[in-house]
Amino acid sequence: MTDVTSQTLRLWRESKGWDVPRMARELRKAARDSGEDVAAHHGLVKMIPQWERGNRAPRERYRLLYLKVFEDIAGGLSPAMASGAEYVVRLAAVRSRAASLPGPGQIRALEAAALARPRKTMTPAEIRALAAESIASLHQVAGKLAELSALLGEDEVGEDEVGEGTS
Amino acid sequence: MNAREDEIRRVVAELDVHVAEVEASVAVLKALLADGEGPREEDPR
Repeated sequence: MTDVTSQTLRLWRESKGWDVPRMARELRKAARDSGEDVAAHHGLVKMIPQWERGNRAPRERYRLLYLKVFEDIAGGLSPAMASGAEYVVRLAAVRSRAASLPGPGQIRALEAAALARPRKTMTPAEIRALAAESIASLHQVAGKLAELSALLGEDEVGEDEVGEGTS
Repeated sequence: MNAREDEIRRVVAELDVHVAEVEASVAVLKALLADGEGPREEDPR
């Protein structure tokens, strides 16, 4: 994790939607689970922003705790690959974007609504083609997510990880 | 960098492209709806 930048620590935390106190709790929980001794909650709340600003570097035990906490982001990757901070953040970001895509049902609903209100900018045939392309791409997304999960050694997720309307 | 890691990077790049395709077409469909909120041009008088 020597190549992980201070900015990556912040991005990892923010990718989970955690504030600094929550990050401190997660680090302490990970430490407890492995029987390690770490700083008190208020100490971590002070140190985390310093690590994230690059004012100081976390010691090895904290770096290892970060890897444990963010196992889902860095999990399954070799240490060398996990240290490619940009890559890890990109992986988390693209999965998050995939999860927020609408499902095929929602795309069909958008298509139906657009067809019901014809405009000069697009013909009905173009609207149908666009919706069909969108749904085809959505299936590609599900396929790639499943492929990725298999490569990372995770349980199969596939369609469940895409959008809301795939059920 | 081993073959598996290359493969993961390739799949992530492809996933990124497909997600962007869906986002782009959904944005067009939503824009059409937003554009269509006014009176329909072919409404009979």
